[in-house]
Amino acid sequence: MTGATLIAREEWRALLRNRAGLVATALLVLLVLVASFTSLERHSSIEADRAHYQATVDHAFDQQPDRHPHRMVHYGQFVFRPIAPLAFFDSGVDSFTGNIIFLEGHRQNSANFAEARQSSLLLRFGQLTPAFVLQTLAPLLLIFLGFASVARERERGTLRLMLAHGINGRELLLGKLLGHAAIALAVGLPAFIVLLGFALAGAAAWPETLLMLGGYSAWLLLWVLLSVSASALVQRPRDALAVLVGLWMVVVILLPRVLPEVAAARISLDTKIETEIVLHRELAAIGDSHDPEDPYFNEFREKVLAEYGVESIEELPVQYAGLVGIEGERLTSAIYAEAASRSAARESAQNRFVHAFSALSPLLAIRQLSMTLAGSDAGAHSDFLQQAEDFRYRFVQQLNRMQAELLPGISGEDPRISATYWQDIPRFDYQALDPLRRQEDILWPFVVLVGWIGGLLTIAAFAAQRLERIAK
Amino acid sequence: MTPVHAEALLLLKSGRNLVALLLLVALSVAAVWSGSVQVSGQQEVIERVAQAQEEDLAAVEQAQAGPRGDPGYAGYYAFMLTQDPPPALAFAAMGLRDLQPYVLRVRALGLQQQLYDAEIYNPELALPGVFDWAFVLVYLTPLVIIALAHDLVTGEREAGRLRLLLSLPGGGVWRRRVILRYLLVVIALGLPLIVGACLAAAPMTGTAAMLLTAALYCAFWFGLALLLGSLLRASTTAAAAMTGCWIVLTLILPTLGNAVIARAIPAGKGIDLTLAQREAVHAGWDIPKSETFERFFSSHPQWREKGQFEGRFHWKWYYAMHQVGDEAVAEDVVAYRTSLIAREDWTRRLGYVLPGVGAMTIVHRLADTDQLGQFAYQDSIAGFHEKLRHFYYPYLFNDRPFTRADFNQIPRYAPRVQSDSLAVVSLLMLMLVAALLAYLGARGIARVSGVQ
Amino acid sequence: MSDKQQHSAPGPAIAIENLQHRYEEKAVLHGLNLDVHSGEIYALLGGNGAGKSTTLAALLGFIAPSAGSVRVCGIDPVTEPRRARAQLAYVPENVSLYEHLTARENISYFLALADAGQGTDRRTDQSTDRIEPALQAVGLAADAWDKPLAGFSKGMRQKTAIALALARDVPVLLLDEPTSGLDPRAVLEFNQLLDTARERKVAVLMVTHDLVSAVDIADRIGFLAEGRIEEEQQASAQSVRFDLNALHDRYTHPGAAA
Repeated sequence: MTGATLIAREEWRALLRNRAGLVATALLVLLVLVASFTSLERHSSIEADRAHYQATVDHAFDQQPDRHPHRMVHYGQFVFRPIAPLAFFDSGVDSFTGNIIFLEGHRQNSANFAEARQSSLLLRFGQLTPAFVLQTLAPLLLIFLGFASVARERERGTLRLMLAHGINGRELLLGKLLGHAAIALAVGLPAFIVLLGFALAGAAAWPETLLMLGGYSAWLLLWVLLSVSASALVQRPRDALAVLVGLWMVVVILLPRVLPEVAAARISLDTKIETEIVLHRELAAIGDSHDPEDPYFNEFREKVLAEYGVESIEELPVQYAGLVGIEGERLTSAIYAEAASRSAARESAQNRFVHAFSALSPLLAIRQLSMTLAGSDAGAHSDFLQQAEDFRYRFVQQLNRMQAELLPGISGEDPRISATYWQDIPRFDYQALDPLRRQEDILWPFVVLVGWIGGLLTIAAFAAQRLERIAK
Repeated sequence: MTPVHAEALLLLKSGRNLVALLLLVALSVAAVWSGSVQVSGQQEVIERVAQAQEEDLAAVEQAQAGPRGDPGYAGYYAFMLTQDPPPALAFAAMGLRDLQPYVLRVRALGLQQQLYDAEIYNPELALPGVFDWAFVLVYLTPLVIIALAHDLVTGEREAGRLRLLLSLPGGGVWRRRVILRYLLVVIALGLPLIVGACLAAAPMTGTAAMLLTAALYCAFWFGLALLLGSLLRASTTAAAAMTGCWIVLTLILPTLGNAVIARAIPAGKGIDLTLAQREAVHAGWDIPKSETFERFFSSHPQWREKGQFEGRFHWKWYYAMHQVGDEAVAEDVVAYRTSLIAREDWTRRLGYVLPGVGAMTIVHRLADTDQLGQFAYQDSIAGFHEKLRHFYYPYLFNDRPFTRADFNQIPRYAPRVQSDSLAVVSLLMLMLVAALLAYLGARGIARVSGVQ
Repeated sequence: MSDKQQHSAPGPAIAIENLQHRYEEKAVLHGLNLDVHSGEIYALLGGNGAGKSTTLAALLGFIAPSAGSVRVCGIDPVTEPRRARAQLAYVPENVSLYEHLTARENISYFLALADAGQGTDRRTDQSTDRIEPALQAVGLAADAWDKPLAGFSKGMRQKTAIALALARDVPVLLLDEPTSGLDPRAVLEFNQLLDTARERKVAVLMVTHDLVSAVDIADRIGFLAEGRIEEEQQASAQSVRFDLNALHDRYTHPGAAA
């Protein structure tokens, strides 16, 4: 047995004899389990709620009576965002985004009823998910278990004794690192087992699960390296504790809160009201379909007449108003899409600004990685919005086409088409965004985490050398 | 040199204590500054939106008003701006203002389909929560207190100075040390707050109540620090145990409480009422118009005589249908609000036993930036919406044209009266908990500072 | 040093009569009798667990003895610990003061602490008047006065602590193992210091197990064993004031009374 493994074993024995350390570790394990359980329970209730609502509104749509198709354009459809399977592990921004959208013709409504807007301020303390425990609390536990690892030996004089007995600084530090790395993985184990169980049950994909395991292992190892290195670099255990808790506070609590403020101050988002006003103005600039003198719609009319080879609107085989509806929807959707992409570009610029600091606060990296893999990040949400908008455009245009094509055959002052047509209208079929297609969002966090680990290993190597010199 | 002077010198010459205090000053100043930036950002947004909205309204007026202007079209296109400017103390406690809309446009159609619209915000930025004075108070100050107070007696013992200190005739050394540290912490928190409050022209009483809350919350943590410091022999163990307490009290129990409250009190009625309102409004097209009018007239009897019209469509029916849609979901609206208020109530009750949650509740109630503030804004929008509807009804039911002059008569929204209040019970409970811990801490110190 | 306080009460400055103390069922002191007079240096010798520390604790008012009486300048430290402590200065074993303060700052700090609650008469800032002569008296080099204690040797720390005791300017001085860990030169300097204290009519009680040092400086030596004074010897006027060999036997074989 080498010196390093001896020291690692000694470190485990020390932990087993440290009652406070054991209690804290047990508490964290318990917390992971409680978080997994409550989060899973919450997740399945959200899932059931949303599925139930979706089924209800879909059924209601089918049950609508005979109507003018344009009425159905405004009756619209509600869509609910299904929650991603791994969102129980990391609920990400799910509570901060509206997960229900009302889709109707020529309007883009906001996604509403975000949980955070319906909750008291308590939600702002954080949400109890396994990810919260691993990201926020596990580092602190690792600090408590590791801050004294080397400084303790130095303070008690056992360090000199060990060096005198021929163990070199490199071996000593390696042993401490091995010991605490094993402890860290043990701390993460309950959460990892929950994840693996999910993958085994087929509820989560293997690549995401394994990447998640890899990311969190790197995150936990990073804190082991930090606490053992700090312990080796300072004189007294209490100094190590102060430095590490301070670092934790800055990296895990402070920077993640401060950076968004800076980002928001640097890049501002337009309000929905301003966007709507601009849209309205741009639409008005294109033309007014009700104005017989309007150049844009006159040209449109000529084009339609030419297409059907007729002289006047009355001779058209289709309803002209329906065609204008299709054209209007095309125009408004294009303008909406442009505004939406402008807004999305600003949001992602804000997020990029924050992510750029993940080199400073690796929490941002693990958070990004975890949310992306769990399918609960802002990117997945904007993908949902995009899919909802594409769907909205399709079904609204289908109804408009029904109006154009079916109405000419129906007379009367209140023309309606049969309710059976509503069942031809597609239902929203959400395709969850595959996290693996977002290589950059996965790769970068790993680069940051591995970079930190590399940097800390260098520091640890330096600390190991210094250990021998200082012990004299 | 007076003893207090001597203690101050001793404290400030110690690197760790000085760093901890300077850090707190820096954080507190930065938080007040950041809060002020957010407040002025929101004010700018309100001004910007108001400007754009004025132009939009002018364009609607241009398009719709005329000697034969149709009030139905005017009311349909004329959105009216409501705004909720940041309360004076919002800089210290932004609360939910980063999520909840503080500008919202409404028109005289169904209110319930307009009221819950979300403003644009970046969910990823909102996720970690705002950086403001309340955050520094609730989360970070305890850590500074831990650094300052965890080894008050044990540190002296470990350094071998305890017997010498105790052999001196002068008394009150621990009292002086604790009070000095306590006052410095409260000043570090309080001065930036006072400066911010002066700049924001915030009310004296609210600011004073915030200071009192901070003082009590700090007293709680000092008490806890002294108590644990007296129970545990080693100062490092004491520091670790205190950080553990901090994690449990400000991270674990609140998140657990939130999970329980969210689960126990579902807020699904918001979605229910939105869906029900849609059904009500759209069913209106398929049922006889007289049915819709009948329901409308039962709540608006003054227009009962004006229900007839020629042809298939009249705006007065359209507006009546929207109002009937709102009335159809009135029960759901109440149930929805009740569930949200229940969540607030239980959060407040949780604050009776968790000082962090209690302090959070009190300062945000003082700043009027919590959920109750948002309710007050929604209620004022509802009041304004009613005024707006009743403004259009005479034009619609009397078939009066809507002219340019009438455009100038459209009611404008006046910002709500602030609904801030002092959460008295929460404050009393915080006082009680702080007093208890301060007493236990003092007793603990008295015990360990005796002979060993 | 100008306003030296002389205790006015008659009798010895330290008077311990039939002192008994139990510590968790175990008797530590039983029937200790001890007097130290002004201008006298008394060395209390004893092995580990003989009750030396308990005796000091009783004088400092840290413990309430089970029986017997303790008086410091006629004041009972049990009932009036503050008044009693105002009469004495205590130098603990292994002196540690504040590492980040200078010698001058340390003394100034502890003086301020000692003066707290002592009425206004001594509040007036005379600290410089009191500190510098004390530092001078203990022979701490002047260039060290304003250096942080972190860089001090053990002897320098000892001097700083004794300077503090001198600056306190009190009639009774309690020293706990004052010479432990000092090199011979520092012990010599320390002995000279005690001579100064004797000249100033201070009553000094030093608790020690260092026989040689006690022999060098003490006026009287008491052997503490099993919680009482087994034997007491007075220094003679000759140059060899004690019989070291006899004392050594006495010390290493307690209980074998002659």
